[in-house]
Amino acid sequence: MRPTLGNIEQILQALEQEGYIADREIATAIYLSIELHKPLLVEGAAGVGKTEIAKVMSQALGTDLIRLQCYEGLDVNTALYEWNYPKQMLRIRLEEGTDRTVEEKEQTIFSEAFLLRRPLLQAITHHRAPVLLVDEIDRADVEFESFLLEVLSDWQVTIPEIGTIRARHIPYVVLTSNRTRELSDALRRRCLYLWIDYPSFEKELRIVLRKVPGISQLLAEQIAAFMHLVRRLDLQKVPGVAETLDWSLALLRLHRDHLDRTSVEETIGCLFKHHEDQRLVRGPWLDAALAAIHEAQRDGEGLARALSRIERTLKA
Amino acid sequence: MRRPDLGDLTAHVVAFGRVLRERGVLCGPGEIADALRALGRVDVLDPEQFRLALRTTLVHSHHDLRVFDALFPLYWSPFPPVEAPGESGEEGVAQEEPAPERGHLSMERWAGAEETEGEQEVPGYSALEVLTRKDFSTFTDRELEEIGKLVVAIARRIATRMSRRMQRARHSHRLDLRRTMRLHLRWGGDLPELAFKRRRIRKTRLVLLCDVSGSMDIYSRFLIQFVYALQEAVGNVESFVFSTSLTRVTPALRSRTLREALDRLSRTVPNWSGGTRIGASLMQFLEGWRHLLDPRTVVVILSDGWDTGDVEVLHRAMREIRARSGRVIWLNPLLGSPGYQPLTRGMQTALPFVDVFAAAHNLESLRELERTLAARARRTGRRE
Repeated sequence: MRPTLGNIEQILQALEQEGYIADREIATAIYLSIELHKPLLVEGAAGVGKTEIAKVMSQALGTDLIRLQCYEGLDVNTALYEWNYPKQMLRIRLEEGTDRTVEEKEQTIFSEAFLLRRPLLQAITHHRAPVLLVDEIDRADVEFESFLLEVLSDWQVTIPEIGTIRARHIPYVVLTSNRTRELSDALRRRCLYLWIDYPSFEKELRIVLRKVPGISQLLAEQIAAFMHLVRRLDLQKVPGVAETLDWSLALLRLHRDHLDRTSVEETIGCLFKHHEDQRLVRGPWLDAALAAIHEAQRDGEGLARALSRIERTLKA
Repeated sequence: MRRPDLGDLTAHVVAFGRVLRERGVLCGPGEIADALRALGRVDVLDPEQFRLALRTTLVHSHHDLRVFDALFPLYWSPFPPVEAPGESGEEGVAQEEPAPERGHLSMERWAGAEETEGEQEVPGYSALEVLTRKDFSTFTDRELEEIGKLVVAIARRIATRMSRRMQRARHSHRLDLRRTMRLHLRWGGDLPELAFKRRRIRKTRLVLLCDVSGSMDIYSRFLIQFVYALQEAVGNVESFVFSTSLTRVTPALRSRTLREALDRLSRTVPNWSGGTRIGASLMQFLEGWRHLLDPRTVVVILSDGWDTGDVEVLHRAMREIRARSGRVIWLNPLLGSPGYQPLTRGMQTALPFVDVFAAAHNLESLRELERTLAARARRTGRRE
């Protein structure tokens, strides 16, 4: 019996326990992916926590995580299996004096003992259903994508020297994509789909409070509000949640208890990695945004409610 | 474990799937089956769970999500709209079963409109836009075939030229250990011979943005053929058409025959021969497909540069496209006419960001393009 996480509420709780602040959308997608036994394709901007989903899923399911990081030129040898060449070479040396035939020797060195299991093979031969994370599938070539599609459909692979290996347990699969290219429709249709957007103010606040121990409610609110506003700017690279956390830690380390121009300028490198973006943020926008955040906090208006108003003011 | 009322629901889910399909969403029997299985595993009486179950199973891309989010509240009208989570407590849960009368009717009008022949206005989900569907039947098969053959020949040559360039550019090899080991085994002793395998070639991507607004009418039919042929011949192509808004047509153009492709286009492109807002359309491209652009991407814009929209928007869009891509080629059919000067505001705004500005009014000019596309890409660094 495959372990499942029960219903959507339980998944939310399990995710929260593992330190992942999720909303119902994410929980539903994970739940259905497990229940319907279909791979989950997760797309969204960089740094919104796509990879985390697989990690947390494996922790919550109490199973292993096997990760396949994709890149351009990724081939079957790196993804599926490779022969252990040094070991093969040693064996050939050892057997040099013996009178075994070439065929016999060949059979020995191309047996399972000389096989290096790469992530895909590991995943299908694992002793219990693992979570298989295929990270940044958009970076792999189209050819690899087709190969992966085949594996995801048949759950078996063929190694010429050994034969066909069938999956012992079908893994839970999570694919992530940063959309550097469009994935094929065939692969998409194989999967359930989840789009993760930048978090809302409330969600980001919860993430910061949870992930940055020792941070004050006041500063955390300012950070979440600042992130919310800054993402509305016309930036080259919009900072994700990962950047928010880096920034929060940096501010904490510098013993800043609130945001002002100095503290933002000191730490701006945590958030913006393009010169143009930094220049844009450092401009008059920064003073206006900070003033509006402080004012809303002082008035006890509640930042969450004030944000859309501030957004409009800043735009004007 | 079917619920007693799931029968009705099934019919509605099937119908909703058809509505999504009508709007170009990839949604077939497989998706419907998944959706129904998913509904068996969530609480269908909870509007939020119901919506999320359908959303996770019926849709496979970010772009389609937007279509889904726009259509869902219309179809399942008793459910509160997506944008207003605050209301769900009051009315949502009280509904016994989704009975999509009001929304459904308007859907059927859309679906029904497909059967009517010729050019006519149909309601779209942007009510502000006058959406027209173009009747492609004015093409005779013979005409299509003749121009098609020529265009295909040119597209093929462009494809070969591009790939030849790329092979010469990257000629590195990698050791094939597996084959080396086999050789080694045959000969015994130390490594006798190294076996190499060729490294994968990095491919150039082509992004085609074709203007199909009214002012381009006489050219766009012809250019669409070219885009179709190019997409067929070159592997890595993404195609879009635009007038007042932009539509990705890569899947539609992947049809087996041109006529089939044109049929699918007329169904998926809502505003054929409408007005032109180049800037807004390019912005839309950047919003949805910015990730397609990198220094290996060649962007080809086919347009006469008549823009009725905001030039400031066009300026921003062109600047970013240029900054992110390897090369920007603008093909203007008017450039072929004698005495033409690119003086329209739109063209003036765009020109500084264009690497190659060329004509595209006849087959000869497309042949010219072959040389242009095959040339080495401009060296770009990202803006620092």
